[in-house]
Amino acid sequence: MTDVIRIRDLAWRAGREFAIRELAMTVPTGAIYGFLGPNGSGKTTTIRLMLGMLPAEDGTIEVLGHSVPRYAHRALERIGYVPERLHLYQGLTVDESIRFHRAFYKDFDDAEAERLRKRFALREDQLVQRLSKGEAGKLMMLLALSQRAELLVLDEPTDGLDPVIRREVLGALVEYVDSRKATVFISSHLVHEQERICDWVGVMDGGRLIAELPMQEFRSGIKRLRVSQAPPVGDATPFALLSRESLNAQHEEWVVRGWQPEMREWFQRAGADVREIQDLDLEESFVELLRGARTPSTTEIR
Amino acid sequence: MFKSIDPRSPTPLYAQIADRIRVAVASGELSVGEGLPSVRALASQLRVNPATIVQAYRDLERDKIVEMRQGSGTFVAALGADARARERASAAGRFVRQMLTQAARQGLSPADLRSALDRELPESK
Repeated sequence: MTDVIRIRDLAWRAGREFAIRELAMTVPTGAIYGFLGPNGSGKTTTIRLMLGMLPAEDGTIEVLGHSVPRYAHRALERIGYVPERLHLYQGLTVDESIRFHRAFYKDFDDAEAERLRKRFALREDQLVQRLSKGEAGKLMMLLALSQRAELLVLDEPTDGLDPVIRREVLGALVEYVDSRKATVFISSHLVHEQERICDWVGVMDGGRLIAELPMQEFRSGIKRLRVSQAPPVGDATPFALLSRESLNAQHEEWVVRGWQPEMREWFQRAGADVREIQDLDLEESFVELLRGARTPSTTEIR
Repeated sequence: MFKSIDPRSPTPLYAQIADRIRVAVASGELSVGEGLPSVRALASQLRVNPATIVQAYRDLERDKIVEMRQGSGTFVAALGADARARERASAAGRFVRQMLTQAARQGLSPADLRSALDRELPESK
């Protein structure tokens, strides 16, 4: 099995306002897959569909080789899930929460749970309702990592945590991935964090997955160009044009996707010249990609 | 040693990590035979994908800067004086290229840079 998650033609609708449409997604085994998208783009809904917590209207979902929702229970045994809204029982202590959780997972690793509890400085007898937001986040991560899961699904795992705790949590995650060769699906709008860790990126907008590709390609393929004597754009651009803006009478700024150095010649043939090629970081690429996806006049992406 | 890793830089992370180690080896900050952190420890410290560290170490091994010994880790290889000088020269070259790109973006001319360098560098004799 080379893909841990395979989704095809997924559709789901909530009222008139929001829908997941024609969603296709592939998460390769061993990837750390960053699931990016603005608030309300459908990230959490997609995760809930993926885990069988919402019924799809159409399409197929396969997770760890099991068809979801029919066999979601088999997949869930092997998935560590940290939901956006942390799910812990307020009346239990840290130790009781761990013992409660372990009852559901036959491979639960007690030694690992204890090691992480110490590392995260969580007191055994502390009541969950007394935990700070950061401590509760660490406890959820501890539970997910101690399951020896093959797939971790993390929905905004570091959102609202302070930078010190974020570092601790991400450090533990990276060690887990290295020691267990697990696959991680991590949804976040903290783009800079994703930029360090992820090797695949999927971008959601308006209920659709508008891009899915290896991080390296995503980062190296999107460029901002300064073009002089910019040509009109027909259908035959060798790249996808995400946006164009005129700077003055002679110059325009173009943001393109799928850029290769040889493409300079395309401009020269059109009597134009590329004056400068600027690299974008992940956040800028992300913003430009969304802008491109929302402007109907530019080339369709994917 | 890795404080300067910048995920927003256009230079890929693995290359930044490898470059930093190259400079440390060339300057003697890391000595021959010294062990580098394990992939897991360094990935965790920098919060990067373990594959990024593996790629950095492989690049360094290919260039004979380090040796990866099965099961025991990654160590600084013995580097001849001329190889050391080459590494320093290429590190300096990378640094200057970065500076030139930034300077060009701000509209500074080569002459501006040259006179600034003359002012800022301590007297060489």
